[in-house]
Amino acid sequence: MAILPKTDKYGLYEIRFESIGGLGANLAGKMLAEAGLKYLGLNVSSFSSYGSEKKGSPVKSFIRFAEPNTPIKVNSPVETPNILVVFHENLIKSMPVTLGCTEDTVIIVNSRKSPEELQDILKIPKGKIASIDATGIALEAKVKINGIILGAIAKAAGFITLEHINGIFEEIIGAKYPDLLKANINAIKKGYDELNLKEVALKKDYAFKPFVKADPALGYTNQIPGGIVPNPGNTVNKDLSAGRSGMIPVFHKDKCINCALCDVVCSDLCIVFKEENGQMFMKGVDYQFCKGCLKCVVICPKQALTEGVETEHDVKAMTVKLFSESDMAQNHK
Amino acid sequence: MSKKEQVFMVESGNELAALAASQINYHVMGYFPITPSTQIAEYLDELKAKGKNTVNMVPGDGEHGAAGICYGASTAGGRVLNATSANGLLYALEQLPVQSGTRFPMVLNVVNRTVSGPLDIKCDHSDIMMALNTGWLIIMGKDPQEVYDFNICAPRISEHSDIRLPIIVSSDGFFTSHQKRRVSIFKDEKVVQDFVGSFKYNYSSVDPKNPVTIGCYMNDPDLGNNHVQMAEVFDKAKKVIKDVFADYEKISGRKYDLVGKHKTEDAEVIIFAAGSSVETVITAVDNMREQGKKVGVVWPIAIRPFPKEEIAAALKNAKTIVALDRQDAYNGLGGNLSAEMKAALQEEGITTKVITRIYGLGGRELYIEEAEELFELGFKAIKDNVKKVDYYTVDAGKKEGKIPAGLKPMSFEMQDNGIKVEMGADEKLQVSGINLRNLTKQAKRFAPGHGACNGCGIFSGINTFMRGLKGHVVVLFHTGCGMVVSTGYPFTSHKGTYVHNLFQNGAATISGISEMFKERQRRGEIPADEQLTFLMVTGDGGADIGMGPIIGTANRNNNVIILEYDNEGYMNTGNQLSYSTPLGHATSTSHVGIAQQGKTFQHKDTAQILAGTHIPYIFTGVESQPVDLIKKAAKAQWYANNVGTVYGKILSACPLNWRSEDKMGTKILDAAVFCNFFPLYEVEKGITTLTLDPEKMNKKAPLADWFKMMGKTKHLLKSENKAILEASEKEIARRFKRLKAMSEHPDL
Repeated sequence: MAILPKTDKYGLYEIRFESIGGLGANLAGKMLAEAGLKYLGLNVSSFSSYGSEKKGSPVKSFIRFAEPNTPIKVNSPVETPNILVVFHENLIKSMPVTLGCTEDTVIIVNSRKSPEELQDILKIPKGKIASIDATGIALEAKVKINGIILGAIAKAAGFITLEHINGIFEEIIGAKYPDLLKANINAIKKGYDELNLKEVALKKDYAFKPFVKADPALGYTNQIPGGIVPNPGNTVNKDLSAGRSGMIPVFHKDKCINCALCDVVCSDLCIVFKEENGQMFMKGVDYQFCKGCLKCVVICPKQALTEGVETEHDVKAMTVKLFSESDMAQNHK
Repeated sequence: MSKKEQVFMVESGNELAALAASQINYHVMGYFPITPSTQIAEYLDELKAKGKNTVNMVPGDGEHGAAGICYGASTAGGRVLNATSANGLLYALEQLPVQSGTRFPMVLNVVNRTVSGPLDIKCDHSDIMMALNTGWLIIMGKDPQEVYDFNICAPRISEHSDIRLPIIVSSDGFFTSHQKRRVSIFKDEKVVQDFVGSFKYNYSSVDPKNPVTIGCYMNDPDLGNNHVQMAEVFDKAKKVIKDVFADYEKISGRKYDLVGKHKTEDAEVIIFAAGSSVETVITAVDNMREQGKKVGVVWPIAIRPFPKEEIAAALKNAKTIVALDRQDAYNGLGGNLSAEMKAALQEEGITTKVITRIYGLGGRELYIEEAEELFELGFKAIKDNVKKVDYYTVDAGKKEGKIPAGLKPMSFEMQDNGIKVEMGADEKLQVSGINLRNLTKQAKRFAPGHGACNGCGIFSGINTFMRGLKGHVVVLFHTGCGMVVSTGYPFTSHKGTYVHNLFQNGAATISGISEMFKERQRRGEIPADEQLTFLMVTGDGGADIGMGPIIGTANRNNNVIILEYDNEGYMNTGNQLSYSTPLGHATSTSHVGIAQQGKTFQHKDTAQILAGTHIPYIFTGVESQPVDLIKKAAKAQWYANNVGTVYGKILSACPLNWRSEDKMGTKILDAAVFCNFFPLYEVEKGITTLTLDPEKMNKKAPLADWFKMMGKTKHLLKSENKAILEASEKEIARRFKRLKAMSEHPDL
């Protein structure tokens, strides 16, 4: 009897994680695959699209399940997933996370928003959308979000159960970090229980986008030979807000003595000082670049910077921009 | 022999290479970390810490050094393992013919990765094809299972009395090395050990009863004859490999041959490929066969010896052969494999049309539909003329495609800092005018938007250092985290001019830049008043593998600053130990377990090594003492521009691998300073001065205060590791006392 609810022409049930380094997507993928082999005897594979090991940079993980005697003959990235998991809501604006999704895909997003709200952000015409506030649960339980996500997947997938996820966590996390096991098991259950899965109504403005392999704007006709980049500092075009894990520094101008220690320790070079009447003043943070490490909060001698939960603040309104259009130049002719 | 008990696991190629090595229990592994092969040493160490093997893991000072360790170890009568990739293989390349030419068996895993100028860490075959002419046997696995199986077969082939040559087990980086698949492994390591047998040697460098000379000076006519002997081995090797594979089939049930084939009998179009893409092509074959299209695939498992006859026989009935090369020999006949395959056909008088496509460079995937498209190209080529050698899966780019806009260049004035540096009457530099608030006016040389981890200390540390530099700075980064996260094409976080070179050679490269600048200035090609400061940035990894060129630069006294950010490990490749990792600290190659408690030797003292070169200025610094660091930077610039080489070392937090809180980085650095582990001092024209003395400030803290802030050191606070903590304290106290004495006595 088939274990998997449905499979593609190669006999595969496929899951894709859209994540960023440091959230534990790679390990979650491995644990999910191991659970499939260990408890269901499935044939499995899992791998990630990462290169250099950094937190904060986009990572995709791919998990494939096949019936025990079905060879897994596809080893390229998952194109049309049965389940898509977006590990951080902010990734949706910076990455084309939904490529290859169809109405049969269950899309799970780490978010406090409702599935209906997420539909508009994802721009998905219809299908099953699920939300889980994994970051909130993780902050409270002091664990990574990956267990919570696996709990949510167990609910959405059906064939993998909560017991399977618990079992594999006990085996892998229990061996390495026994003190974290109990908190994780509780968090996994919350992930399972609190998943808000809905079949959303058709919205004709949106369309599913097919998976594209690679379609870069730069190629051998227009790259500068040798890979030279003549546009200094152009990472200012990037948005790193998805690199935060729920917390932000909050600036209280009235308490600030402009000592600039925050500027010294800032890993992301996003503290904004501006000149007024020949003197420099701390103006705030450019949250486009802030990864929320909170080093500035720890160093601040006057509590002019404090820890805040990101979702409780209007980050956009709080942002002080470091750069404007007039600072920019295009030297790639 | 009979089939032995196996169990299913979900593991990647690297994990399986390590597992096989652990089961074999090699005597020695000499290694140096490089992505994507590093995990082999990591997993082997992890298994060692758990008591699963007793492999003596020897970390090299670079791949060249690692190859030397392996060579030495292999002459000494035991079984030896190494693993590398890409530039690491090339750095070690000179050692490979030494190993083979003197006939000492060993096993090297080459996890295939591209070798390139703009650095790319992903898979192609441009590294392994460089090893074709080194006199090593090479077998290539296409999936994790084969990596395991071939790693068990490899020592038996290499050590066979008819062979006695080293062997490479090659597999594809990431596609195979990092893809976790269901595999079968032997439950009992004894099965593996019985299969491999005990190591036998002909000559040993550690047998004083039988002294031997290994590595004579050998010119003509003798060397040619040595090569004839090697060539004869390659002729015999085909049979030996087949025999070992046949024996392996008996215990594993898995059958291998010199060449792999799938549905080739009646195939009109055959793809000839190697490595992980073969699986994709096999799937394409099955799909197309369902549509009645006669296609097949042939792949070499043995690459050295090159199974010429077997390949020709497998291909001879095809109407077209599509050869896929994952590297280019630049205006040769395609890549090396297709050129050799074409030569093999010619030897057998086969004139089948061959179309070569160079694909999958730098890690690009090959998809099933693309493999099908390549078969269709083969069908087209039966009747029509198609380009014989071409690139496949590359992009022209789009008409509107542009590198994203950057920032306008910084003027010299924008980079001024208002700091005054003057030579004092005591022949020491006096620095004044440092004010952190005012310094926020100075343009930063880094743009935000880099992809470093949350709480990474690299950019805050180097930025604080650069606050002390006025004007234009030409920056060179060694390979490492700082480089990778700041220059992902087509982006750069560098607002001034930036150059990268591989991480053994940055010091030499910045020397060359500064010397050319000087020469062009002398010739009047660059205005005489143009002021540039040359800064080379390295991690502690680059200061290990690059120590030679750093000392060379210091010995030449070139006008450059070398700044080391020390985060106590090779963080870019996943937290392997560096020589700067302190005693007992846990890394991915110094695990903590029942059989091992972190790193086994004390940390390197780079600043004191450089003090021995008598360069004009050496300093240490941390971002947690910013004024101290900025003052030293200002002096560094003065000495580099007016006298010669400066070496600076800053301690830099790595929350990811120190397993510490992101926000605590700066505090942890201060803790390292106040326990005397990382003394803040300078050596100015040979005179040592402690710039912060915790003892004098009555703020000397115990080492445990620092260790308790990091996950990588928590085990050292347990009572059973008291001896390691004490040994650390003793060594730190000894080094500090020595520095303090030097600080108090200008003659020291």
